[in-house]
Amino acid sequence: MRGSLAAIATLAWRNLWRNHRRTLVMLLAITVGVWAMIFMAALMRGMTDQMVRNGLETLPGEVQIHHPDFRQDPSVVNSMAPPSGPLLRALQEPPVAAWSARVRVPAVIASERESRGVTLLGVDPAAEEAIGAAPGEIVAGRFLADGDDRGLVIGASLARRLETELGKRVVIMSQDPDNNVAERGARIVGVYRARFEDTEERFVYGGRTAVQEMLGIGARVTEVALTANDYRHTGDWYPRIAAAAGDGLEVLPWTELNSYLGAMLALQDGFSLVFMVVIFLSLSFGLVNTLVMAVFERIREIGLMQALGMRPGLILAQVLLESLYLLCLGLLAGNVLAVASIKPLEAGIDISGVAEGMAMMGMGTTLYPALSTWDMAMSTLVVVILGLLASILPAWRAARLDPVVALNKT
Amino acid sequence: MSAIVCRDLCRTYHQGEAVITALDHVSLEMDEGAFACLSGPSGSGKTTLLNVMGGLDTPDSGEIEVAGRRVDQLSRSERADMRLHTIGFVFQSYNLIPVLSARENVEFVMQVQGVPARQRRALADQVLAEVGLAGMEDRRPGELSGGQQQRVAVARAIASKPALVLADEPTANLDTRSAAQLMDLFVALNRDRGVTFVLSTHDVRVMGYARRLIRMRDGRIVGDEQQEPHPMKVE
Amino acid sequence: MNVTWLLAWRNLWRHSRRTWLTVGAMVFSNVLLVFLISLQLGSYQMMIDNSLAAFSGHIQIQHRNYLDDRKIYQVVPGAAGLAGRVREQLGVDSVAARAEAFALASSEQRSFGILLTGVQPQREPLVSTFPGLLRQGRYLEEGGAEEIVVGAVLAENLKVGPGDEVTFLGSGRDGSFAAAIATVVGIVETGIEEVDRGIAQVPLAWFQEVFTMGDAGHSVVIRLPSLDRVEGAVARLEAMLADQPELVVLDWDALQPGLRQAIASDMASAWFMYGVLLLLVAFSVLNTQLMSVLERTREFGVMLALGMRPGGLARLVGMETLLLAGLGLVLGVLLGALLTWYLSHTGFTYPGMDEMAAKFNLPGRMYPKISLLSLLVGPALVFVGAMLAALYPALRLLRLQPVAAMRAA
Repeated sequence: MRGSLAAIATLAWRNLWRNHRRTLVMLLAITVGVWAMIFMAALMRGMTDQMVRNGLETLPGEVQIHHPDFRQDPSVVNSMAPPSGPLLRALQEPPVAAWSARVRVPAVIASERESRGVTLLGVDPAAEEAIGAAPGEIVAGRFLADGDDRGLVIGASLARRLETELGKRVVIMSQDPDNNVAERGARIVGVYRARFEDTEERFVYGGRTAVQEMLGIGARVTEVALTANDYRHTGDWYPRIAAAAGDGLEVLPWTELNSYLGAMLALQDGFSLVFMVVIFLSLSFGLVNTLVMAVFERIREIGLMQALGMRPGLILAQVLLESLYLLCLGLLAGNVLAVASIKPLEAGIDISGVAEGMAMMGMGTTLYPALSTWDMAMSTLVVVILGLLASILPAWRAARLDPVVALNKT
Repeated sequence: MSAIVCRDLCRTYHQGEAVITALDHVSLEMDEGAFACLSGPSGSGKTTLLNVMGGLDTPDSGEIEVAGRRVDQLSRSERADMRLHTIGFVFQSYNLIPVLSARENVEFVMQVQGVPARQRRALADQVLAEVGLAGMEDRRPGELSGGQQQRVAVARAIASKPALVLADEPTANLDTRSAAQLMDLFVALNRDRGVTFVLSTHDVRVMGYARRLIRMRDGRIVGDEQQEPHPMKVE
Repeated sequence: MNVTWLLAWRNLWRHSRRTWLTVGAMVFSNVLLVFLISLQLGSYQMMIDNSLAAFSGHIQIQHRNYLDDRKIYQVVPGAAGLAGRVREQLGVDSVAARAEAFALASSEQRSFGILLTGVQPQREPLVSTFPGLLRQGRYLEEGGAEEIVVGAVLAENLKVGPGDEVTFLGSGRDGSFAAAIATVVGIVETGIEEVDRGIAQVPLAWFQEVFTMGDAGHSVVIRLPSLDRVEGAVARLEAMLADQPELVVLDWDALQPGLRQAIASDMASAWFMYGVLLLLVAFSVLNTQLMSVLERTREFGVMLALGMRPGGLARLVGMETLLLAGLGLVLGVLLGALLTWYLSHTGFTYPGMDEMAAKFNLPGRMYPKISLLSLLVGPALVFVGAMLAALYPALRLLRLQPVAAMRAA
């Protein structure tokens, strides 16, 4: 069997180049198809990565722990004790890379001239930095010094809306667990800039202890956010945290906390695959055509091989092998082209022209295509598997030729 | 032992409305080492009989035995294996795979048989020399004359040491000189290697080489005689 | 039929399998293009309509600075009266005045910062779909006061239902302290969480009283029967408001710049795919026509020898391609229309699409929309691509030498 495969390997390769024009046109088509598959997948992956990362920044963390009612009723009433016992131990073990216990309550912030509804975050700045949820860029002043900091850090856009600035005093109002208005004057110690104006207008940072004091909730917090720095595999480890947290708390991964982001991630792979299959299908007509013609031109020869004692299976294998060569050459060229065209773009494509449209989807102003071996492997699998499936029909016809008829074909 | 036994073979073809009787109750026995010629006008059933003997075609009824095996009872793949190991074919034309060189064409069958590369190559060069093509091993079929191509086909047929070589009008596309050379080659191989040869032809000069002459008409054997070979004289 | 056409047609069927496979490639692409373009145009239309119909309308008249800087003192004076003039000017009923202010809303148990909107209860349902999405209670009534309609999520967060009271604290237009109590009369649910968290509407007259607005508002919202009337309407309104330079007329693109850009970016990625499909079909046709020309070299040589001009041969190949591409066009449009028509009735969905769609005010089930444009644009491009692909094989024939051609194997 090995001998016969070796025999047809050479034969299939030479046959491929008998009609080199046809082979080259087909090769070009496969190359363009494969390039398009990988290029599109890289763009989509880049987009999703960025959307999810942006989303996780404001979520924040890949997993959050809450009082079971907090998500329905985001009030300080539904607070939780800070992590202790088994939960604390679970949070300090890998894969958890960092965690932050925070107070997150709706509030109203008022300057001398304006007031706005915001979300007040009482955080421990060090922990917040560790989970990557601290503001990326402080444009004036500083970020919070520690959890006892009595100042506030607000977004640049919010400062503009409130007609206030660094060093000015504002009043922050929320409610305590007894539904009384809790308010406090505070100085703006920092102004941050975020990717989206929406974020800047929504989140106000204060020292955790100072916020807890104002709300009169002691050491209690409203959420614990944690990260393992790998958002694609959260599903693998979060159940352990859930077990450690016990029944009294709700532990959810980001895919459920923000179903839009979760859906995006699920859609991305699906869309990439659908795109690849569609591109392949439009290629397949040409591929089948090439093989049908190749077989048609060689009917006599196939008859001869049958007469020489080649089993039908070997004839089938020969046509499939010819197709496989073509596919593999196209894959090789397509992959090389894809890498060559995506690498220079990885520094980012400026899409600020459609920035606000992209912001609707949760994207920034630069698109970073993400070349991934997974996409390359997926396109290779699609092309090879579907390619061979498409080649089976012409190959089967070749194998089933009646040798007597084939030999007499003029 | 008989190389070939045919009993009451029938084979009809449908060509549009018409029914063509290619074999009409043909019975025949061929000894090992025979050198036989099937002759008759075109359409007399020579090619069909050869194809049935080689397992390329199957009879509608009747039995056919080659080297002791019932060919008509074999599957497609088993018949392919039988051709691979026990039968060599030489056709009128288009005998060679165009993308392979003369040597590779000869090696091809052996490679499918699983003969090791070194042995295969040595054997291929040897038989090519034997058919008078030494030095032309690397030429592709397009670079060989018709007679040379037929000799490559003969080299391929005998390289795998078949018990039986079936040749369908092997000289039809050759000039007289090439035809004579090819027939001399057949005779020599039959004599020296003991290979059984069955040829079909309607060329009287080719019939002269045979020791047994079988005449066919309308799918029937109308004459079967032993004869003293009388090769043609070519200058 | 002309003999040359007959010849071209017969030639096409000499390798019927090859012809069908090439036509198949075209039909596949055409069906896909018809479907995708119909879906795309349909969903853009729906995206725009739904987004605009939800709240912003097609056109708004605002104070020139209000869009960038939503300050309560940047007002449209005499908003309700202006709305009336706009109605007369444009001859459409769907014009409404609005006013907005940030306030702290408190129920017995909870407090939230919200954006409170004052609306004209009779006019608002004409410009916005929110009033029609009542889940509980009723919408605001003309002449009513101290009433509020809230979004479902906001109601949940505030823990209020119809009949409950909500207190507002904010500042009026003049910077004075503004406070009022309203009774919840209805709860609106759009199904989109962010929207349902943000809706809080009270009657405009009462709003003006509480926030010391006088007769001023912040916007006059205009909803038009169709998108293509926007441009004309904007021009007429600008002429009408020429004597009030502090006011601007903003079209939907200015009001929701993300919308057009989201469409543009989606368009770009869609056209990338269409471009690839087109190119692949062109390769398919190129291959087929090149093969058919090469295998007929000898025959073409004979035709040249018989006195046919090389240009005639090229034209013959052109005609063959035209017939081939025409067949692909007709079958593609037919099948594409059939599939799209079917799906435009049944609709279809894709797992995970709900979340995506909601972001753009689209329903979870998609309905492609057939139009002449969506039917013909893709197939026409494929047709042109096929004709271009045949140029190379056809032009090769111009250089054909009869003797060499007849000798070709």
